[in-house]
Amino acid sequence: MSEVRLDTIRECFEGVIPAVLATADKDGVPNVSYLSQVQYMDREHIALSYQFFNKTRANILANPLARLMVINPANGAQYALVIRYLRTETSGSLFESMKARLAGIASHEGMSGVFHLLGSDIYRVLELQRVDRDCPPVPEAARNTLAALRVCSERLAACRDLERLFDETMACLDQKLGISHAMLLMHDAAAGNLYTVASRGYAASGVGSEIRMGQGVIGVAACQRTPVRISHMTAEYSYSRAIRQQYEGMPLDEEIPFPGLADARSQLAVPVIGCGNVLGVLYVESQQDLRFSYDDEDALVTLCGQLAMHMTILQNAEPEPEQAAAPEARRQAETAPLLVRHYAGNDSVFFGDDYLIKGVAGAVLWCLLKDHAAQGRTSFSNRELRLDPRIRLPDVSDNLEARLVLLARRLAERSPGVGIEKTGRGHFRLCVRQPLQLQEMAGA
Amino acid sequence: MSSPNLDAGQVAFIRAGVSISIASCAAGGVPQLVRGIGCRVADDGSSVTIFVPEAKSQAVQRDIFATGRIAVAFSRPTTHRTMQLKSSDARVTAVQPEDLAVVDAYRDAFVAEVGSLGFPEGMVRLLLACPPHEVVGLTFRPQEAFTQTPGPNAGKPLEAGA
Repeated sequence: MSEVRLDTIRECFEGVIPAVLATADKDGVPNVSYLSQVQYMDREHIALSYQFFNKTRANILANPLARLMVINPANGAQYALVIRYLRTETSGSLFESMKARLAGIASHEGMSGVFHLLGSDIYRVLELQRVDRDCPPVPEAARNTLAALRVCSERLAACRDLERLFDETMACLDQKLGISHAMLLMHDAAAGNLYTVASRGYAASGVGSEIRMGQGVIGVAACQRTPVRISHMTAEYSYSRAIRQQYEGMPLDEEIPFPGLADARSQLAVPVIGCGNVLGVLYVESQQDLRFSYDDEDALVTLCGQLAMHMTILQNAEPEPEQAAAPEARRQAETAPLLVRHYAGNDSVFFGDDYLIKGVAGAVLWCLLKDHAAQGRTSFSNRELRLDPRIRLPDVSDNLEARLVLLARRLAERSPGVGIEKTGRGHFRLCVRQPLQLQEMAGA
Repeated sequence: MSSPNLDAGQVAFIRAGVSISIASCAAGGVPQLVRGIGCRVADDGSSVTIFVPEAKSQAVQRDIFATGRIAVAFSRPTTHRTMQLKSSDARVTAVQPEDLAVVDAYRDAFVAEVGSLGFPEGMVRLLLACPPHEVVGLTFRPQEAFTQTPGPNAGKPLEAGA
């Protein structure tokens, strides 16, 4: 019988102090090695990084019983585990998640280019014992994460529209979990990327900036449907690189800068999964090493489950009655018209020389502006946009609500002359405060 | 089996404030592990004694009585330089009075080594704590030596100067 439960010693698996592994060949000749990475999987399983074909590897294939020694970096407590090798995974969510973490460890240890994950060796934990009894208690936690999570959950449940839900998620992270740099990205399956709809803690919001699926921690989390947590800075998964690659060969004037910290030392990306679909990714980061723990990861996975559920409900909620529009300030007739160009190829829209938005949100904006110019319309509903053949929404999970949040935010940030305002769930108003000159362009 | 002939640099390395881990295994059993708290090495590397706490090393001692087999890894936390020595003639030995000074010096050296990585002295001393009368020795002639520094040569026999 184990004396200690595996899920209570997860801080031993943060890679702060290397673990030690003892194995033996079939004749009982022992071997001892240091391990840079142990990954907690569940209460009975751990995974060790397989980086080189060495004696340890040969031994566990011949004799699967091994002993592992780990140390809690907070108080020096040592634990001994008897483990049995089960199998090796060389792709998939566990592997990708470990690969990203190892990149962080390697970079921290000056071992970039040396540490490479060849596989995730999965072991069953047969025994777990504390080696010494007289260690001081672990320092008190900064907060009770479970209590904080409950408050976050209640606050999300009270949101009546998507925009509020996004902002409340960001506010909860900051106020209840002490996470002050965060962003939320939505998945655009047709385009194969993720676009930012909300952020907190950055000089520029970065709303509308994009990350390709598979790129960096955010892209890997979405692609592999697994949380990715890195505890030390690594160039391999940093944004500057992801952004650079993303925009290679694209005109730079369509780039919305990604808001991420240039010097993030801890990163955690959690997929927002609802009804089996990746709806987006919640990403948090910090300038501190080892900022996010296994507990933080659990909290954010749970929070993302809530977020996914409320997003799904709100995206499909019945429209509310439209509220009467407040009287709008008269347009200033003497202002020179603003040239608005639309490129049909990718639906990108430029206000003057400044790129505003593209894709579905760009197509929506162009339709609104055309209808406003032709018919003087200002009131619109989500329902009619869904049916509008000019917008070409994907049939299932169109994310229209999220795209309208994105569009409203880009307009608020970039264009004082044009805005959209909600007038009840499912309804909004286009506010045009200066004369516009619309110009349809041939290509992207 | 002949001795792997540790060179002066390698002897100095294992005498310094490096992490020491010892493994053993009885026939058909589960490998055992214990952390070392010091090391005495002959200048020519022909004989090595690792000091361990009595209470935490009982399973390792039993295996060594039964098999004589031992594997010891030495790793420097600040550089990851790592080597492993193996032998099949290990035995449990009594500690001499002068060995306790070796254990004390090792603690100071290891505290200094990992202190530079930010580990507090109190925690490190606790990790290596052992009352003087409970220190025992595991003595062996190294028969095999391997480099285990992460990289393409990890696991290869140790060469002079490595």
